[in-house]
Amino acid sequence: MTGQQATSGQAFRATLKRDLVIAYKRKNDVVNPFMFFLIVATLFPIGISPDPARLGEVAAGVLWISALLASLLAMDNLYRADYEDGSLEQLLLSPHPLYFLVLAKNISHWLVSGLPVVLVSPLIAYMLNLPDEAYGVLLITLLMGTPVLSLLGSIGVALTVGLGSRGLILAVITLPLSVPVLIAGTITVQQTLNGAELGGYLAIMGAMLVGALTLAPLASAAALRISVN
Amino acid sequence: MWLWFSKLGSPKWFYELSGKWLPWLVIPMAMLLIVGIIWALLFVPPDYQQGETIRIMYIHVPFASISLAFFPLMAVAGTITLVWKMKLADMVAKVAAPLGAWFTVLALASGSIWGSDIWGTWWIWDGRLTSMLLQFFLLIGVISLRSALEDTDAAAKACAVLSIVGCINVFVIKYSVDWWNTLHQPSSSFSLSDEAPNPPEVWVPLVIMIVAVYLFFAVSLILSTRNEILVRERRAQWVQELVEAK
Amino acid sequence: MEAAETQSGSVEKSSHSILSVNSLFCERDDRVLFRDLDFAVNEGQVLQIKGSNGSGKTTLLRILCGLNDAYEGEILWYGEPVEERVEDYFGSLAYIGHRVGVNKVLTPVENLRWTCSLQQVVEDEALYAALAQLGLRGFEDSQCFTLSAGQQQRVSLSRLLVSDARLWILDEPFTTLDASGVKQLEALLREHADRGGAVMVTTHHNLAVSDLQILKLG
Repeated sequence: MTGQQATSGQAFRATLKRDLVIAYKRKNDVVNPFMFFLIVATLFPIGISPDPARLGEVAAGVLWISALLASLLAMDNLYRADYEDGSLEQLLLSPHPLYFLVLAKNISHWLVSGLPVVLVSPLIAYMLNLPDEAYGVLLITLLMGTPVLSLLGSIGVALTVGLGSRGLILAVITLPLSVPVLIAGTITVQQTLNGAELGGYLAIMGAMLVGALTLAPLASAAALRISVN
Repeated sequence: MWLWFSKLGSPKWFYELSGKWLPWLVIPMAMLLIVGIIWALLFVPPDYQQGETIRIMYIHVPFASISLAFFPLMAVAGTITLVWKMKLADMVAKVAAPLGAWFTVLALASGSIWGSDIWGTWWIWDGRLTSMLLQFFLLIGVISLRSALEDTDAAAKACAVLSIVGCINVFVIKYSVDWWNTLHQPSSSFSLSDEAPNPPEVWVPLVIMIVAVYLFFAVSLILSTRNEILVRERRAQWVQELVEAK
Repeated sequence: MEAAETQSGSVEKSSHSILSVNSLFCERDDRVLFRDLDFAVNEGQVLQIKGSNGSGKTTLLRILCGLNDAYEGEILWYGEPVEERVEDYFGSLAYIGHRVGVNKVLTPVENLRWTCSLQQVVEDEALYAALAQLGLRGFEDSQCFTLSAGQQQRVSLSRLLVSDARLWILDEPFTTLDASGVKQLEALLREHADRGGAVMVTTHHNLAVSDLQILKLG
């Protein structure tokens, strides 16, 4: 029955696959953040004004804030079940660097909770009367920005996963951390509307994504070790 | 060096040493505060643009500048906690968070009062005020995480991680908020700290106030750390003896 | 439970020690759980850790697994500090805690596949064989929330059959098992030790395992 040692890459793939299978079996966890995004984005026109001109001005911000809140809402699923059933302990006991395993969980989580929001955003953008030329930029910025939101949120969840009631504290910790991404995302959309070159802005977003990909899983891993302790 | 370092890590040693330091900090602090406040309030000439309102600067600038020190301080203390498991570092980190929140609130409040006269409104989304407000939120996050975690050891390490992440984030926030602010308000209205070159009778009292507030910061940090030491080491023999002696 | 005393019992250190512990000290919530704890587990041994509730059995096991770092002292893996042999150590350790690590929405096979693949490359036949051996034939593809607590415990124990781990650390593995399950696990522990592995186990149950070593805490 002896098998050879798995490589870190194999452990990474196994973890990614496992989390995707779980998401497939728990469709509620996938659908709820998505519906939440749609509902929050719908509340803005009701709260502000149905006037297309006014909506067009705030559309980018509305989409970004809705995506931010949806990402926050979805975060709680990331480690909770694993913490409660002990799978997290098994993850920590793996001989592979925790960085890769945490990254695998983050990626699969983004694929099921972040990506659907990005994909539906043009529809909401249309309903909010976002100017036509901004669609592409909006999609690109969300595509680069929502993974950062997930990676940052992962740190917050990892720190609070052992707590009984953590909804609010998670928001208090995570939302301020997300401000730079929100700023970069909305500014990029607005500046392209003003006719600016896209390159520099995307470079900043790219830098944020790379920075988050390298550093955030390390912080999440450290936080998970503390929470399981 | 190493011996000194590990000795400093002992709460008892710090308690005794800081007891000796305190008078040397409190006395200059009190003198500078009195001199600085009287000078600033009574003898500084009114500003040619802002009139008497300029006197708020002597409170606002010192508090605003010291507020920026809290996250780096907590991040350093957090690193020491994580790497060397030094209890004293965590005690400092623990008391620094609420203290930082108070200093930040004072900086925000004084800035807002100052602004109410210059800008004609209590709040504008000025770059400095906005990043100060976000720093306040981050501090509140650290404080609430600390209070939510019951186990002292777990709370220490969790807050250490959050402080390090928060410290990096505060810098990113600062730059991104400045960027955001300049793009949204190309013609920036009056900015609080960009003063024109001033004569000595204006900046000397400011320097005095800055030093006084820094001393005030050091004294409050030391006093609250001493308090935290007594609470956490309450079962230790030296604390029991100290209590009986009083 | 003032100052917890520890007895090293009959467990002697030797050159065959897989894991040895030197002057371990652990304090939790201002209470000393153990101090100057010395013991070793050798190849071929089954070591039962005994102690009343709250004596630190679980904490000890979690310390050994690196899940808890609130201790002072030395933990050696084949004579070398574990911190220096992390990959090696975690590559040959199997731990089953109170929380058995079985996801409720996944099936037993999927659960087993993931936990094992964290350590080694596994074939599906081995997974099915292990589950069948522990009496889960026919349940391989039902989601785990439909299984009883004892069956979920069996899912986690089947990990031991697939894994190459030399050291098994089991925290109360008997609690939800029925009589036949208990017998089977006892036999498994002995077999594993006879193959040159080592087992550390906590339980309040009287273990019917030949040549059992005992460490008493508290």
